[in-house]
Amino acid sequence: MKINLKVAIAMALFLSLGSQAMAAEGGNPKKGKHLYKKECKACHSVGTEGPELTPMAKTMSQWDRFFKRDQHKAKPEVFKALSEKDLKDIQQFLYDHAADSDQPQTCG
Amino acid sequence: MRTLISILVANALLFSGAGFTADIDAQKIADLKQQLADITEELDDLNSRVDKTERHTALDRIQITGDFRTKAHSLHFQNVTWNPAMKVNFSDFGAKAMSGAFGDPSSATSPLGKMMAANPELAAAFQSGMLQGVMPYVLAPQTQQDIDNDILYTTRLRLDLKAKVWDNVSFAGRLSMYKNWGDSTGVKVFDSWNSFTMDGTSSGNTSGDWLRVERAYFDWKNINGSNTYLSIGRRPSTYGPPSHYRENEMRGGTPSGHLVNFNFDGATLGYNLGEITGIEGQVVRFCYGQGFESQFGNGEMFGDIITKDTHLGGFNIDVINDGTNFLQMTLFGAKDINDGFKGTMAFPTQLAGIFAPTMYQDMQKFENFNFVTRVQPSGVIGDMFLGGLGYARETENDYKWFASIGWTRAEPNGNAGLFGGMLNDAVFEAELNSTGTEIIMVPKETVDTDTKDGYGVYIGMQMPAPGGKFGLEYNYGSEYWTPFTQAQDDPIGSKLATRGHVAEAYYIFDINPRMFIKLAGLYYDFEYTGSGTPVGAPQKVDDVIAGTAYSMLPVVDTAYDVNASLTVNF
Repeated sequence: MKINLKVAIAMALFLSLGSQAMAAEGGNPKKGKHLYKKECKACHSVGTEGPELTPMAKTMSQWDRFFKRDQHKAKPEVFKALSEKDLKDIQQFLYDHAADSDQPQTCG
Repeated sequence: MRTLISILVANALLFSGAGFTADIDAQKIADLKQQLADITEELDDLNSRVDKTERHTALDRIQITGDFRTKAHSLHFQNVTWNPAMKVNFSDFGAKAMSGAFGDPSSATSPLGKMMAANPELAAAFQSGMLQGVMPYVLAPQTQQDIDNDILYTTRLRLDLKAKVWDNVSFAGRLSMYKNWGDSTGVKVFDSWNSFTMDGTSSGNTSGDWLRVERAYFDWKNINGSNTYLSIGRRPSTYGPPSHYRENEMRGGTPSGHLVNFNFDGATLGYNLGEITGIEGQVVRFCYGQGFESQFGNGEMFGDIITKDTHLGGFNIDVINDGTNFLQMTLFGAKDINDGFKGTMAFPTQLAGIFAPTMYQDMQKFENFNFVTRVQPSGVIGDMFLGGLGYARETENDYKWFASIGWTRAEPNGNAGLFGGMLNDAVFEAELNSTGTEIIMVPKETVDTDTKDGYGVYIGMQMPAPGGKFGLEYNYGSEYWTPFTQAQDDPIGSKLATRGHVAEAYYIFDINPRMFIKLAGLYYDFEYTGSGTPVGAPQKVDDVIAGTAYSMLPVVDTAYDVNASLTVNF
């Protein structure tokens, strides 16, 4: 009983100190995926203006660097047309699915 | 690069204003020369460093990641009942006894006389005509107890290997160690099929400090420019959806975790149908595997093999997998299932007491010795089919829920081994041993050969919560529910193989994206015996406790597992 009480107190403390778990960059990857398909894939697919692109094209830190420093230098107006929130969501999606991110472990 | 800088410098020199004085120009040129020399030196240094990393990258052909989990369980079992008996054809026994096949019953040295002396109650019942037809022959008095294992620690280490072989060919593997603290024997005393070290379940049952190859396979994608892929090897057939949510990891395997969580060696031929239909993540897969090799390494010295290879095949279809919706259909068949697998166990002394009195005499002198023995099945008991439909949804707000239904069908062929036939009890007949000195019971056939259908349901949810996630899960399996999930690493036994009810609640504290603490509680309420094995007829647990039904292995009524774990991904 004493142990149970201690565990309960420890949990209560932990919960009181805990905060909502945030993704690495605070974006919403689900929204980001939708935006990526709509905004990015239009130019970055087979036979389009830009080179074909997938999230696996860069590592997590390379995507972060791309959004922080490069900011789509090749065509800056593309980024300027998107809100900060949209860019964060896209960045989160690409980060979560980058070459060195955790991947589903299936065949094929 | 050097050329570019030279051109830039030349340009700078060319367009420098003519209005400057010669002294200033000379000074500038000197400064620029110095800068150019510095840059050149820096470039040479960078080149030599890049050469090293380029060489290292070229030689470093495999990527190793992994995870490390340490877990503390408190395990509690209620009404653990052992009430062993075998179903014996007493009409056959009577006929043989009357014909004198077992010797003179009045002689204390005849096989029948010895048997009657050893079993006076049975002899009395037999002589009074109470034993007719097929009836239980009780092997030991019923025992019942609650078992509390207040603390059980386990450690699981998994090393994931990845290698890019070519543009469309990759290799993936996983080396896995799963042990309970203070034990590296690799075998357990055989008290259930969970305590049997074997190929299919070695990744999910504690088996010491050995790194085992849980999976190793290649993926050959876009074969000949098509949407077809081929994958051969030890399959990623554990931790499949939707059982990965409770693991706090991404989809851990290809097949439905509700139906399959088992190490299989085999092949998958897949087709990315989504490329044609436009439905994201739609993949049709034909899977094939071999679960048992009957010849190589089997048999007695020179063949004498009565088992058959077990082959399984079927379809595993991801109908949609778009990151929000996941729908999976599964249909498998397994042909020529035997009454067990090859494996190792520590032989329980109690079984010697029942079946091997001569051996038991000596074993009593070594109370704490168990001999380790390799076991192989004794024969083919039938075929099986599995089917299922599972749906999972992950919302934008990170709420996840899933529902899965499963179906299993067993088609017994009438054969039986010591522990029974396919979801069927064995009927034993009395025979003399090879020296004619003792009556032994030999399993002859199953009680029936009726098809046995089982079904299971598995539902759950996971929601964001302060500091991490909170999840609830429930699953139910019917009397004949027999999925291939025995490698699920719950110490009480695969919760998804349970014939009965299991409820689980857990709280995951995400310490950082690569580390989490999980607190969980699981409650098992077994309705029928034999969860996780196709061998033997499921008995109502309440009847076994009441003494009106029997089980060769101990039976658990209810159990709960309260555990805390810390997992680090690296």
